[in-house]
Amino acid sequence: MKNFIEVTELKKVFGKGKDEVHAFGPATININTGEFVSILGPSGCGKSTLMLMVAGLLDSTSGKVEFESKLVKGPKTDIGIMFQDNTLVPWRTVKGNIELQLELRGFNLKDYQEQIYNILKSVNLEDFAERFPNELSGGMQQRAAFCQAMIHDPKIILLDEPLGKLDAMTREKIRADFQKLWMVKKPTVIFVTHSIEEAVQLSSRVILITPRPGKIDREIKIDLPYPRDLKVKRSTKFIEYVNSIQEVFHKYGVI
Amino acid sequence: MKKFIKWIFSGWMLILFFAGFFLFWEYSIPLFDIPRYILPAPSEIVLKGSADLDKLIYYTGVTALETVLGYIIALILGLGFGIAISFSSILRRTLYPFFVSIEMTPKIAFAPLFISWFGFGLMPKVIIVVLVCFFPIVLNAILAFNSLSNELTLFYQSTGASRLKTFFTIRLPAALPQCFVGFKYAAINATVGATIAEFIGSDKGLGFYISIVTGNMRPDLAFAGIFFLTCLGLSVFGFVTMMEKILIPWHISMKRINK
Ligand SMILES: Nc1ncnc2c1ncn2[C@@H]1O[C@H](COP(=O)(O)OP(=O)(O)O)[C@@H](O)[C@H]1O
Ligand SMILES: [Mg+2]
Repeated sequence: MKNFIEVTELKKVFGKGKDEVHAFGPATININTGEFVSILGPSGCGKSTLMLMVAGLLDSTSGKVEFESKLVKGPKTDIGIMFQDNTLVPWRTVKGNIELQLELRGFNLKDYQEQIYNILKSVNLEDFAERFPNELSGGMQQRAAFCQAMIHDPKIILLDEPLGKLDAMTREKIRADFQKLWMVKKPTVIFVTHSIEEAVQLSSRVILITPRPGKIDREIKIDLPYPRDLKVKRSTKFIEYVNSIQEVFHKYGVI
Repeated sequence: MKKFIKWIFSGWMLILFFAGFFLFWEYSIPLFDIPRYILPAPSEIVLKGSADLDKLIYYTGVTALETVLGYIIALILGLGFGIAISFSSILRRTLYPFFVSIEMTPKIAFAPLFISWFGFGLMPKVIIVVLVCFFPIVLNAILAFNSLSNELTLFYQSTGASRLKTFFTIRLPAALPQCFVGFKYAAINATVGATIAEFIGSDKGLGFYISIVTGNMRPDLAFAGIFFLTCLGLSVFGFVTMMEKILIPWHISMKRINK
């Protein structure tokens, strides 16, 4: 059986001649429907590059990306995407920013009013719908960005270190939001991170990337029950996963 | 009305400063024995100026027409070229460096040439105003339309929206704050351009008036002309600033100043 997402011998080299940077690959990755896969690797190993190629937002140097056996050629539009820096625009309110996603897709805003309220409520932002992004804390902004990225109910979600700039407590909170959404709607998620604990807590599978040019070191299936709350995080099994991954990166000298 | 009173009240320091300034000016003339053909007292400027009021108002209208007409033409051309250059890689490699190099020459130096080519009428003045306003507008517009964040670009690409739609929902509003930097700079240049153009060759307008009365040893009337010119300049700049507040109320830097 074919996998939902197939990344085959994918490679990216930026620039030419003296300025050449071999950023990623070649690497082969297969992902099934409804998986939560973390891409874990040190800074600069090509994780963002990989994700942009999967999203069709960046051309590869060689290799291919397929969704349900269909080759990705241009930007994929049936996805939800989040970056380290949020994509909220300062001239729209939180609600207006969520509507931006729908407007750009040509959807009828009237049909979505209830969904907008519900998704805001799910991240405790319902009282901030009419506020502007610069009136919100960093964590609230990222939660608003989460609503913006998910309002059209994408079946594929690409997250590029969306928690990268947040403090530890806020990260913990938003991780729970991600997990809740994933458990309810079962989208296919690719989650880029450099936090080992975060990867183990959220994913059904973690893919370890070597330092640049990023290649796959190994894949680790995380066999822990959901929801992965504090109790699971304290379990010996959880800690063993974290330790074994730490050892891999220790070997590369990145930690 | 309440707002106005509040505004007066919050600006009391500035008002006090201006009052002090004019009082000092008024009383230092007799104190230091300054001859009136060098520097007249404010009271004399008001007195003599009001006798010439009809002329001053008419000339203000003439200069205002040149200023506003030139500014609007520069605005349309500057934004048009700015957007075209931002979205065309060919223009970015040809027209853009050309504009940058012209920006280095003081445009006002062309003024005598334009007067000699096109005569004393309205047109050469408007052209000179366009010339001094166009460059700040076009260069800031190019900067504005090229500084959209990488993430926002990727975001709208992933929605599959058309170029036209993304232009009006994202690119244009994102560019407005930087565009207004150019608009405001140009608004200051506009009256300066019109005045200098009138100095060089004209038979009406405030620049003409100031150069004639100065030649007749009437600094009192020259100051009256300068006063009207200042009012004109402030009106143009004030209007642009008001438009900025209306069009981009969300702009952070303005919010900070208001606080
Ligand atoms: N547009 C680009 N042009 C040239 N080099 C790039 C570009 N984008 C990324 N790189 C380089 O590719 C490497 C991998 O970058 P990136 O994918 O952002 O890493 P990560 O997301 O894992 O931190 C880095 O060395 C970076 O400097
Ligand atoms: Mg990255």
